[in-house]
Amino acid sequence: MKYILMMNTMKSGQGVPEWPRKDLQAHIAFMMAVDKELHERGELVSAEGLSFPENAKLVRAGKDGRPVTDGIFPESKEFLAGFWIIDVESPQRAYEIAAKVSAAPGPGGAPLNMPIEVRPIMSGPPPEML
Amino acid sequence: MKYILLMSGTRAGVEAYHTWPKQDIEAHMAVLRRISQELTESGEFVATQGLAEPKEAKVVRGEKNGVPVTDGIFPESKEFLLGYWIVDVPNAERAYAVAGWISAASVNMPIEVRQFATHEAESR
Repeated sequence: MKYILMMNTMKSGQGVPEWPRKDLQAHIAFMMAVDKELHERGELVSAEGLSFPENAKLVRAGKDGRPVTDGIFPESKEFLAGFWIIDVESPQRAYEIAAKVSAAPGPGGAPLNMPIEVRPIMSGPPPEML
Repeated sequence: MKYILLMSGTRAGVEAYHTWPKQDIEAHMAVLRRISQELTESGEFVATQGLAEPKEAKVVRGEKNGVPVTDGIFPESKEFLLGYWIVDVPNAERAYAVAGWISAASVNMPIEVRQFATHEAESR
């Protein structure tokens, strides 16, 4: 069963957090260790970090089909900061991994306990639509 | 340069989609399949996925002892990720063009375009 684990951030959280360098390094090392462990267990499909919200654009098709871009978002909007796609045996295992990522170390090494949104991935369009 | 194109919507929007006539849903899916096919042919396609319904979404936090705490309550206004496309394109304009194309195929829904962080930034 495939799941996506999404780590979201608010617009106000732009740029690299202003933590002491060693705390940032510990956070990054933790994330890299999680990815390595998931890879070794054969559970990691992909993991990516996204660039900061200041580079985000919202695109719609104009009448002539050309893209119309907009960079204005409400203050309350949550931005995707990064995600993991995992292939696991059960939803419980997906929640376990999400909890592990949630507890990544922050300033002073204290666990951040960030909320991680967990969503099943569809294996394909519903058969009746093909 | 890799970009992710994110299509999001509220629960009410997803429920409205389910009321579309079957032929309209089929036409919508057919255009999305053609977009994936053309991106594959141009060598720009990396991945696409649809996500399961928002009602199956959970938000998880680690408790002190590392045990996951799950919650399925979200505000009505929350936008859920419905699906995404990952493309590898020469520039941002091309990413916007692909997003415009997907938008046009999907009742002009807004598509959020985000670049992937580089690995230099990650290894800092």
